[in-house]
Amino acid sequence: MFTIAFKGIRQYFKDRTAVLLSLLLPIVLITLFALMYGGIGKKEKSRPISLLFTDQDNTELSKEVFKTLNDQDGMQLFSKSYGEASDLIKKGKNTAVLVLYKGFQDSVEAGNKAPMELFYDEAKEIEMGLLQQALWSNLFGITMKKGIKGKVNTWIKEKNPDLSDAELLDIQAQVEEQFTDFDNSDDSKEMEKKSNLPMTAIVSEEKNGNLGLVQAIAGTAIMMLLFSVSGSGASLLKEKEDGTFRRLLVSPISPSSILYGKMLSTLFMAVLQLTVMFLYSWLALGLDIFINLPALLLMILSAAIACTSFGIFMATICKSRKQVESLSTLIILVISALGGSMMPLVFMPEIMHKLAVVSVNYWAIEGFFDIFWRQLPLSEIYPKMLVLMGIGIVLTSISVISFKRNLLKLV
Amino acid sequence: MLVAKNLSKSFKEVNALNNISLAVQEGELYGLLGPNGAGKTTTISILSSLLKPDSGEILYQGKSLYQNLTESKKMIGVVPQEIALYEDLTALENLKFWGTLYGIKGKELQSKTEELLDFMGLSDRKNHKIKTYSGGMKRRINIAAALLHDPKIVFMDEPTVGIDPQSRNLIFEVIQELHSRGLTMIYTTHYMEEAERLCDRIGIIDEGKIIAEGRLEELKKSSKINEEIRVRFTNVQKTDLSNINNHFNGQLLIHENQMVLSTSQANTDLPILIQMCTNANLHLENLQVKSLSLESIFLELTGKSLRD
Repeated sequence: MFTIAFKGIRQYFKDRTAVLLSLLLPIVLITLFALMYGGIGKKEKSRPISLLFTDQDNTELSKEVFKTLNDQDGMQLFSKSYGEASDLIKKGKNTAVLVLYKGFQDSVEAGNKAPMELFYDEAKEIEMGLLQQALWSNLFGITMKKGIKGKVNTWIKEKNPDLSDAELLDIQAQVEEQFTDFDNSDDSKEMEKKSNLPMTAIVSEEKNGNLGLVQAIAGTAIMMLLFSVSGSGASLLKEKEDGTFRRLLVSPISPSSILYGKMLSTLFMAVLQLTVMFLYSWLALGLDIFINLPALLLMILSAAIACTSFGIFMATICKSRKQVESLSTLIILVISALGGSMMPLVFMPEIMHKLAVVSVNYWAIEGFFDIFWRQLPLSEIYPKMLVLMGIGIVLTSISVISFKRNLLKLV
Repeated sequence: MLVAKNLSKSFKEVNALNNISLAVQEGELYGLLGPNGAGKTTTISILSSLLKPDSGEILYQGKSLYQNLTESKKMIGVVPQEIALYEDLTALENLKFWGTLYGIKGKELQSKTEELLDFMGLSDRKNHKIKTYSGGMKRRINIAAALLHDPKIVFMDEPTVGIDPQSRNLIFEVIQELHSRGLTMIYTTHYMEEAERLCDRIGIIDEGKIIAEGRLEELKKSSKINEEIRVRFTNVQKTDLSNINNHFNGQLLIHENQMVLSTSQANTDLPILIQMCTNANLHLENLQVKSLSLESIFLELTGKSLRD
């Protein structure tokens, strides 16, 4: 028994790369998850919430609203026309737009309901929660105070038409004094409750289907596909171990044909896997896969190309199947976490959003979101397909070079 | 058929082949005999285009192997040392796959695979997965896969490794049948009985060099020794035999409970050997005086056993 155990330990230490990877994997994952959950870099300020701002009133008060909100810690405003803002939200680039309609100042000063509205993307649930909190405490502070003061002053003027300007200013100053502690008063809180900011979802579950379903399908499909193709790519190394690779090399086909043949079969399996996953989602989970079928088919192909090239890349840079298994697991877990397969990117800090672009998962998930959630036309989605295909071309090129260079080792 | 001139190959600092030359005639079965690590597989790998030599030249029917590699490859069949088959596929599927790589299609492929399965005596198991086959059956399919495209020359790299004597005999019969049909073969082995039984000519290879070459009779004639005394004991294992070995200048080969003395003077050496064994308290079970074997020639040439 001990002899067998010692032999196993000796074999384990013979493959130094596998040893290194088996130790590196948990370290990298711990670091990654610590980053995701904010355990690292606590001194760094959290990512400001970005809000688009459409000012159709263009008055002193509407500008004050912009300034007040923009001056808040953790909030950043960008002025855009409603058309631009709506487009950015639909494309998933921004969360919400606050629109102040024409007559905003007049209505507020008259003590009437402020004509304003918040348009948003329902997918950005977390960001919307934070945004609502920030808006509530700041926006109503300005509008309500201004509204009540306006209403009181109008009432005084109406009731006392004989008052001189000096007397009127004096009364207004006294009214102002009464509002000093208004922000923290019970009256303020009571009024805040009664206030209303109409909110309209530009991209929503009602219009665009089940958000969670899209996230689950897209995220899981790509991660599982990566695991499948890395196993498929590793079959190249199994050929080496079984001796069939030598037999293939003495046959009258070129070494590159062996690699491309392996890629093709892997690509076929990848396309099949994704297709079956989406068909299942349609039949069993109710995902409308016919919403933009050409885009879906092209996105499946692009994602399959990128994932296949990853699998082949792993097989050509590793020396044994053991190495492929360890290294692939490490990389797939990292890029899946980065790219939003494990958790939607909106939950993650800004740095993760920047890092996400290196992940195949990110581009594929975003592509599927464009199709099913944002329901964008093909002309808006194709750049993500090009990125995926670009990843495929780069990884394949490296694989071909690496394969030719390491051919002797494979023999 | 095949002429290889001055082939050398190194792997980093290991000199695997050192200026090897050999020529194989059409229809000849050439044996490459040597211990593990002697350079047999490297030689076959180079001759079958799997590896490129650092120097030297390889000619098939007078043309360089690399002049038209694709066409040259179609002339060559390789039976690797490993069972180079897909375990999850059936024998028929495997043969069809390998045949397709050589451009054989349709009815020709069907009849060729059927013919070979019949030849190997495995027609009734053709639809069974390779993983369900015995070691000997796998070896036969391994050979069949190298014959599908009717090669002009076949390299067999230790095709009987790890199988039982009965299966080995079946493979010998297959090889002898192929030889009788006029197929040119190069056969590597470290079993001298195989080389003696099958090969027309034998090249003895050690440390990357061919140290002797010729027909078995020629090799025997060139040897200084001509006989061997084989003695089997019941209790040899725990006995110190260094005195006996020293007396016969290292020409004693001991394997388990058997001792083989290669000699040119059996009449003189036999009584001395028996006397020394009696003195060493060895209990004799069987004694034979035979004409010289390849193993003894190898021992004479290299000073080591083929099993080393």
